[in-house]
Amino acid sequence: MENRRQFASLIGPPSLYLFLLFLLPVGLMFVYSFRAGITGPAHDVFTLDNYRSFLTNSHFHRLFWRSALISLTISVISSLLAYPLAYYLVFQAGRNRVTLMTLLIIPAWTSYLLRIFAWKLILGSSGLLNSLLLSLGVIEKASPMLIYSRSAVIVTLVYVWVPFVALPIFAALGRIDRNLLEAAADLGCKPWEAFLRVTLPLSLPGVAAGFFFAFIPTLGEFVTPLLVGGASGQMYGNLIQDQFMRALNWPMGSVMSLAMLVAVITLVFILTRLASVSDLGGVYE
Amino acid sequence: MNKHKIFSPGSIYFLLMCVLLYLPILLLIIFSFNDSTRLVFPLKGFTLQWYGKLYENRELLKALGNSLMIGFGSSLIATILGTMGAIAIVRFKLPGRSVFLAVSALPLVIPYVIFGVSLLILFNEVGIRLSAFAAGLAHVIISIPYALLIISSRLVGFPDNLEEAAMDLGASYWGALLKVTIPICSPALLAAFLLCFTISFDEYAIASFIVGTDATLPVYLFSQLRFPTRLPMVVALAAVLMIVTMAVMLFTEWLRRVGQSPAKKG
Amino acid sequence: MRTTKSSLIVLSLLVVFTMILTACGPKTPPATEAPTQPPEVTGKLLMLDWAGYELPEFWMDFAQKYPKVNVEFSFLTESAEAYAKLQSGFEADLVHPCNNYWKIMVDDGLVQPIDTSKLSHWKDVNPALAAQGAFDGKQYWVPWDWGFESLLVRQDLVEKVPESWADLWDPQYAGHIALVDGGEANHVITALALGFEPWSTTPEQDEQIKQKLLELMPNVLSIWSSQSELDQMVASGDVWVGSGAWNQSYIGLLKDGYDVVYIDPKEGRTGYLCGFAIPSTSKNYDLALAMIDAYLAPDAQAYLANEYGMGIVNTAAISLVDPETVKLLSLEDQNVISRTVWYKYITPEQRESWTNTWSEVKTAK
Repeated sequence: MENRRQFASLIGPPSLYLFLLFLLPVGLMFVYSFRAGITGPAHDVFTLDNYRSFLTNSHFHRLFWRSALISLTISVISSLLAYPLAYYLVFQAGRNRVTLMTLLIIPAWTSYLLRIFAWKLILGSSGLLNSLLLSLGVIEKASPMLIYSRSAVIVTLVYVWVPFVALPIFAALGRIDRNLLEAAADLGCKPWEAFLRVTLPLSLPGVAAGFFFAFIPTLGEFVTPLLVGGASGQMYGNLIQDQFMRALNWPMGSVMSLAMLVAVITLVFILTRLASVSDLGGVYE
Repeated sequence: MNKHKIFSPGSIYFLLMCVLLYLPILLLIIFSFNDSTRLVFPLKGFTLQWYGKLYENRELLKALGNSLMIGFGSSLIATILGTMGAIAIVRFKLPGRSVFLAVSALPLVIPYVIFGVSLLILFNEVGIRLSAFAAGLAHVIISIPYALLIISSRLVGFPDNLEEAAMDLGASYWGALLKVTIPICSPALLAAFLLCFTISFDEYAIASFIVGTDATLPVYLFSQLRFPTRLPMVVALAAVLMIVTMAVMLFTEWLRRVGQSPAKKG
Repeated sequence: MRTTKSSLIVLSLLVVFTMILTACGPKTPPATEAPTQPPEVTGKLLMLDWAGYELPEFWMDFAQKYPKVNVEFSFLTESAEAYAKLQSGFEADLVHPCNNYWKIMVDDGLVQPIDTSKLSHWKDVNPALAAQGAFDGKQYWVPWDWGFESLLVRQDLVEKVPESWADLWDPQYAGHIALVDGGEANHVITALALGFEPWSTTPEQDEQIKQKLLELMPNVLSIWSSQSELDQMVASGDVWVGSGAWNQSYIGLLKDGYDVVYIDPKEGRTGYLCGFAIPSTSKNYDLALAMIDAYLAPDAQAYLANEYGMGIVNTAAISLVDPETVKLLSLEDQNVISRTVWYKYITPEQRESWTNTWSEVKTAK
């Protein structure tokens, strides 16, 4: 009984907040997905047509899977790059580790848009890299080949997300009991064995959290594809954006967003099962 | 543990990452002194005019103020709510837990444009005035899952009976939380706060719908893209922010060292 | 220890930023006294406007007449945003979208008619442009700014300068073209390239337009959505031919010494027109009118042309504009203007269909 009261008073405020400012507006979106239009009489007509045309549009589906693949690539690469970073900070950086971790996050305080412009300064036709390659004689003519493509989208987003993916891994590694590692060493484990058997499994919840930190937001991306994706890097998020902002077809945009919502939830569910990280920080079960 | 090898593979990797992360920023700082409206090589000449224009730009500074306010406010609330939620789901295996988890993770999934539009509709229906405050409310929502994930992945590592032990020593349950659990989580709390702030500070899609007249920095920045001649001024602002941030970090680091050394001797 | 340190960092950051903000923060400009106005009008005027037009130079007359009125700006990044915001209940006193959204906003009852007799500068407004803002015999919109969209070309990087919209498909520009991110603009230029009347295309023609655009995509390097992006890409040399570029891009790059040329395609440039209306929900009708009048003042209009390189509507202001700018922008060149293909209102069905086509085309590759 006492337990329940404590539980309720802990979980009550965040639940209420989420209900009022999240479930309510999303509910509104759900209602919108059935409307025939947003203005005039169409506003009050409810229909399943939006769902029908979404389900029959193979172009949407193709693009959706392509975007999912792009996001998957981004999150895998980010996790692989972020792990050694977090590992170094926790086990080798000593007292400075929090400062150094902060150092990784701070670039994100500079507007994303400006950082992208800066990347164009590095990768564009008259950019640093082209100048370097030209002067070394590796290439003969400057070209913007490294930007405006699907891989540019991936590179840019990895660049953006690595520090964020490192954070939960950093937190997870930080709480591993050093005595465990010493015990492993005492029992004759080689360092890499200790890593594989102790450190890695114990840090997996953090890795999983980091993976989702990158995977989910990048799935809905539309700004990066627009800025560096060129003609081949556009994603599903750009379609949603078009429906809301250009076609002014909010009902269709709502259907497309809900579809993504459902797909992501399913995917997250399956991935957590597959990776058998059922203890994902004891969080997802 | 304190043996610092300057050139271990780890530190080289870390340095490399830092170079990658800071190279664009370094370029922005260089270009903030460039006498041209274009961010294009070659550099044209040295000027301080962008800083002068920045100093005169009321709207831009107001937007910066709004962003800082929204960032600090929303991160604080999100960290508090996230901590409550994290303790509840990690410490109590009670029904309602998984529903809460599922719902609190959803804001990660929703495209921000969509969330922005639905909040716009909602706020208009209930009559909440569009403002920086409204944007702050929204930023709490998108920050909660991050705070929750970070804090709970820290909590999971500690035995459940910590609070019980404290209670055996005479503390009330809430007292035990405050005196034992919260301090243990403090690195995670800070990480969560930092992350939430970072997310809020650069968030554009939601804010653009609901800030009303209190433009935030990203909202202002995007609106300025229509006028290329004003881009360098924004770059100058980014440079100032970055330099101030780094200076403050170095200063606190120095303070800490100075504060620590006598303690070591004693 | 760690905790204290990090809180120290965060705290000191907060303090420093607060100090910076208070040190160089908003300085209230000295209020101009207006002794001849005994009962001072107070209140608030909320503008839903594009960034850049909030500069005091654009509404000096208003500021002088109503120093106590608090003018606030909420910024737009697209005309559609103005429509979407008013539609979901945003209460503004003035709104400033472009003419492709004018009719739908009138039809949906989002804006109210303008009493032009209260506008002292109305007599000087170019009647041809003013006519575009009238619906059912009532003036709903006061045009204020206009401009061209055309091909902006780096003359030094291409072999041959394009002469027609159809030249975009010329393989010599492959890999160096930037298209504007918009279904409407791309529909219109492709229709022009194919020789169709853009606003009354048949479904068969729409299909041809789509195929034609799909053919173009492999040659496209990038898609732009703000002038700064396009200007950057043209300046850096990544892009040789920018489609849908505004004339202010041209004049800006020219002034900065880039070898660019602004094409006058044989089918004509496309042209947009934007202007003000008072939303139906506004409770400050008279103040809003006074504000429109201030924006129409010759000084304000001349500032628009001189500083931003945009077309203006007040014929009495042209003499105040730098003649070089007038020439470069073809602001008075009837030969160019008469062939200009002006954007018109489009039906919601057209908007949806063109947007869907464009969405599909840009994600096809």
